[in-house]
Parts: sequence; C-alpha cells; structure tokens
Amino acid sequence: MATTSATLILSSTDLLTDSLSLQTTATLYNDPDFSTGLSRMKVTATSTGSSATIIYTADDFAAIAYLYVKNTDATATDYIYIYDDTTSGDPVILKLAGGDWAYMPLIADKTLRAYATTNPTTIEFMVIGTDQ
Amino acid sequence: MATTTATLTLSSADLTSDSLSLTASTTLYKAGTTIGLDQTTGLSKKVYAAAQSNTLLINAATYTDNTAGRVYIKNVGSSTTDYFTIELGASNIVIGRLYGGDWLFIPYEGEQDIDISSTGTSMELEYMVIHEA
Repeated sequence: MATTSATLILSSTDLLTDSLSLQTTATLYNDPDFSTGLSRMKVTATSTGSSATIIYTADDFAAIAYLYVKNTDATATDYIYIYDDTTSGDPVILKLAGGDWAYMPLIADKTLRAYATTNPTTIEFMVIGTDQ
Repeated sequence: MATTTATLTLSSADLTSDSLSLTASTTLYKAGTTIGLDQTTGLSKKVYAAAQSNTLLINAATYTDNTAGRVYIKNVGSSTTDYFTIELGASNIVIGRLYGGDWLFIPYEGEQDIDISSTGTSMELEYMVIHEA
C-alpha cells in the first residue's frame, strides 16, 4: 500500500471582489500502489478510432483509479479530446485546451483514448490505481 | 479580465521507488484566447438527506455552449464506503466516483449537464464552476 496525495489550489485576486484561495488535499482512496508512470506521447489521431492514443485500458486497475492528464501544447486551440472507447458512440468526457490539465477519479472499467485537433499534439498522462 | 490559476500537486513517497512530486499549473482562459475566465458560481455546498439517482448538479442550460469553463467537485464527507458518482449528459455517462475527501477538476464546455448519484444519507459535496458568458 502506498500513500499518495492530490492537492488542488485555486487562486485569484480579481475573479471576485474577495480573493479566491481554495486549497484541498485528498489522500487517494484505498491507498493505490500501482501507477502507469507519467507518460508523454504524441497524439496523432484527429478522430476516434484505432489510431487514437490509449490513455487507459479498461480494468487494468481495480476501482477506484485516478487520472491526471495534460495537454502540453502552447496553443489554446490545439485541443485534445479524451473519449470513452468502451461506451457506444465514443462519448467525449474531456476537452483539454493547450496548457490545460484535468484530474479525476475513474471507476476504471472503461478504455480511454485521445485524439487531437492538430497532428501531432503532445499529451502527458498518468493513472494511479490498484492492480487486479 | 480576471486571472485565476489552478495548480495540482500529486505527491507520494512510496508509490514508486523514486518519490513522486508532480506539479501542474494552468491559468484559466476563455476558449481559444488568453483572456481570463471572469464568472463563477462561487463555492456551493449541497447536502443530500437521502441517496440520489441522476440528480442534476450543474445545468448546462445555464452556460454558453462550446466555452472553456472548469468544474471543481469535492465529496466533503469522510466515508470510505459511501460515494458520489459523477455523470455526464443525458445518457448519464459515468466519468468518476468520489469517495469521502475525493475531488475532481475538469474542463467544462457548458454543453452537457453534470448529474450525481450517491449511495448514502446526509452526504455533502462542494462544487464550483468557473466560466465565461
């Protein structure tokens, strides 16, 4: 068992008339002890399909797993789309602009893939979970 | 315009043989621009007396489509057995499950509702949408 924590800091001095300074830390549920490691890849696909980059393969980990993903591109309009490749219709669950990141827990039973508006766009991602 | 930053730190001394210390930071801009997001719901809190099923949390009709908002949701409870399920759109596609203390931070286009389901009684969550008009 490993102890991993995730901290979010949201801050702004001018979004509101009062300063925004939100900080929250969570210890990852069930002390997951496996990780894909931080991967960095070029997303070359510009639509769903077999050439789309695999971010996570369904059931590699037991629930719950945690996904960190970042679009490293410097151009805001070079989007990366993360979609659910297991569900019919390949629904997009995240649309990341250049420079954006997302962090979320996964039930870990769906395969996730990525495609981009521009070939190539570099993505970084990591999934932390419990092996099964 | 406003300048809002979101910073994530993932850290562990024992997940791998080398310690993990990952930090990612981004400034929250309007879609396709370097103009800061300037509207927010503020930090809202919901208490659900009973277990929920596909209950609307974030109403897409409130937001402009194809924009670049961000959503923060946290299960502020401490239970390791009760959880919120976060669901996207009319088909309630499950995107994740928040146990006590868990949070998520994701981009939000304003096109699909975000619903929640929950497993216990008297469960609480906090959420905030930072968005553009």
